[in-house]
Amino acid sequence: MRRKPPEQLNVPMSSMIDIVFLLLIYFIVTAREEVTEAHLAVNLPAPGVAKASENKPQMMEIEVHPGYLSVRGMRLPIQEIANTLVRLGKNDPDITVLVKVNLSARAEDLVTALDLCSAANLNNLNVVTLK
Amino acid sequence: MRERSDDTLETPITSMIDIVFLLIIFFVVTAQVDKDVVDESITLAQAKNAPAIDAVDPRSVTINLNKDGKINVALQPMSISQLQQLLLAMRTQAGSAIPVLIRCDYETQFRHIDRVMQAAASTGLYRVRLIAEATGG
Repeated sequence: MRRKPPEQLNVPMSSMIDIVFLLLIYFIVTAREEVTEAHLAVNLPAPGVAKASENKPQMMEIEVHPGYLSVRGMRLPIQEIANTLVRLGKNDPDITVLVKVNLSARAEDLVTALDLCSAANLNNLNVVTLK
Repeated sequence: MRERSDDTLETPITSMIDIVFLLIIFFVVTAQVDKDVVDESITLAQAKNAPAIDAVDPRSVTINLNKDGKINVALQPMSISQLQQLLLAMRTQAGSAIPVLIRCDYETQFRHIDRVMQAAASTGLYRVRLIAEATGG
């Protein structure tokens, strides 16, 4: 018996490339845009703890309404609140920020407020419902 | 006899490719299942300043909350009491340090988010994270 001629060992290139291209197109079509996520950590009012933190003298309050933010009932532009928060964060990074949220405010508004605090390096954020 | 053993030494390329493609298909299918846990109907709110997260704690529970206030965890729809039971079970299993992630649509009203937050707080999980899309550096 003679050895098989070498061309019998050849891989069928054209059909393999066909399949590889099909796979490539499949991956391109199904690929989704990767969303980079940010996680904004907040504390929830716990029975007992909420009372204790309210007694803390160093506290900032922000109210979140649908479409705007306010401080002590006064509607302020976002840039002004951001500046105040940055100043506070420089003085005392451990200060508690109480974020009071209107029930009809949207997630977007809350995220804006939390994001401003995050920019000012304030990580002690309490979220409560605005009554 | 010697010539026959020479023949069997040749690598069976065709069957090898068969197996390689089977492996590829297996990984493609399983990777897809893993990805589907994220609810694609939710558009996250954008955060310009918050740092992007690169590693997520594998123990964390992600609660998807769409703009109508409907809750699902890993694409499984849930009522608020079912969510409470799930959180309670996870807390007894893994302790109160378990990260709770709320993945809500940018249009979701706070009344819906508040319900989820209250469910978390009532099971003793007082620290939750809101997921946003990191658009800044």
